[in-house]
Amino acid sequence: MSLTAGSDFTVDSLGLDAIDGGTSVLLTGEDSDALEAVFYRLTAPQTDEIAVLLATDAAGRSVKQSLSRAERGADDRAALLTCEGPAQGDDVRTVDDVSDLTGLGMEFSTLLAEATGEVDDFRAGILLCSTIMGEVEDTRSVYRFLNSNFLSELRRSKALGVCAVDTSADIGSDVNSTITGMKTSFSAHVEVESTGRNQARLDVSDLPGDDDAVDVSW
Amino acid sequence: MSQRTVLCVDTAPDVETISTAVSTEESLTPVEATSVTEATEFVESEAVDCVVTEYDLEDGSGLEIVGALREEQPQTPVVLFTGTRPGEIDTASFEEMVVEYLNRDLPDAADRLGFVVDDVITHSAQVGFLAPDDEGSRLEALSEYDVDGMPIEESFSRLTDLIASHFDAAVAFIGLIEEEKEDFLACTGADWDSLTREDTICTHSMLQEDVMVVEDINEDKRFANNDKLQNLGIVSYAGANMTTDDGQIIGQVCLIDHEPRHYDEAQKQDLQDFADTAMEILDLRQQLLDARTVEVDT
Repeated sequence: MSLTAGSDFTVDSLGLDAIDGGTSVLLTGEDSDALEAVFYRLTAPQTDEIAVLLATDAAGRSVKQSLSRAERGADDRAALLTCEGPAQGDDVRTVDDVSDLTGLGMEFSTLLAEATGEVDDFRAGILLCSTIMGEVEDTRSVYRFLNSNFLSELRRSKALGVCAVDTSADIGSDVNSTITGMKTSFSAHVEVESTGRNQARLDVSDLPGDDDAVDVSW
Repeated sequence: MSQRTVLCVDTAPDVETISTAVSTEESLTPVEATSVTEATEFVESEAVDCVVTEYDLEDGSGLEIVGALREEQPQTPVVLFTGTRPGEIDTASFEEMVVEYLNRDLPDAADRLGFVVDDVITHSAQVGFLAPDDEGSRLEALSEYDVDGMPIEESFSRLTDLIASHFDAAVAFIGLIEEEKEDFLACTGADWDSLTREDTICTHSMLQEDVMVVEDINEDKRFANNDKLQNLGIVSYAGANMTTDDGQIIGQVCLIDHEPRHYDEAQKQDLQDFADTAMEILDLRQQLLDARTVEVDT
């Protein structure tokens, strides 16, 4: 048993260079629409890939529509865990309580294990980590969840992971200090600033070839 | 490689399945328990590097063991190795007790268990804090300082006396941040030796470029529900980094008060100057120690 080799993950819709497998991206921004649009474009699976996403504020149907808009057919290659709306077959599972990190972590790990059983390359994402932080009593539990159920999976599987934080949300602590701390544990950081309708500027740090501002539209 | 103790918990007929799977990794030494009671007593009296437990046990659930472990050894990782589906597990009383979940009914589950256990121990995969991406290099830089071999306590105690007096603070301390704990080399106003890393504010402060101030920990979810901090009477905090010449942050110089407190920019700069002074003293002491070692060798 060993770590898998890992592939590159293309994100052509954002005009970024391919991202190495095993990369963990912290995605931050205060405009939730722009943040979501960029999140889905980073996590939409290409052919021969799958996505495993945790959605805290959207139902499965909504997430699938967003994925489809980001990449045609991506919704058919996604397994979702949502905290809103009904479950739908094996592709969309639900948890009742976003603050139940014990259950959330086990469900997310199970979804990852099952969905990735036959596919080497996958993208994993959390939208929104700020919602989890706002709901739990003790932020240490969120860090434990990220370490155990997210960053560990990326390290072992050489997947691409994206964790989105809405910096306008009330997370119960100093958001700037929290983001500064989180940045050191993730291998890359993308800050999203809305610049107009369906437009944003990405301030990219530590992604290959893209340590700069990138203007994107969708 | 040092041996790591893994507590394996399951009913009598099945516990061997877990311990056999764990022992496939050479560095892991399994220890068996067959009940919640037996496992709980073990973690209350012995240090373990990881716990692997079935969910359904004769006298309770595996999550009860996790509860006891988090009290005694909060940073020790747990793998829930069970055929019980997550949706069937009663998490109502254990909502923030994160564990690694591995479905033992998966075809390669037993093969994967040893690897997963080794991985969660090696990477401290369930700690309640975020470590910097270059934590390995940071720890290497820290290991360059032979603190036990140098007479640093008196110098640092004089310095923390001065710092506490300068800021009129209840407590001033100098701490080095090890892999799993913070060691206090000097502490004025309290008698603290060390604190588990995930209980410290310094493990957050060290990730900031500038002096970190928490005016009232009760207003910050990172610290408000931390019983250790509450029991120590900590209300406000200010911490400045001790940074090596190579840019690695190995420790903190900190101020604690028992009431909410604000620090202005000039005070933050003063605290950073004290931290830089502490770092210089540590560097000079180490250089002196190195020079004496060379002298003796020749």
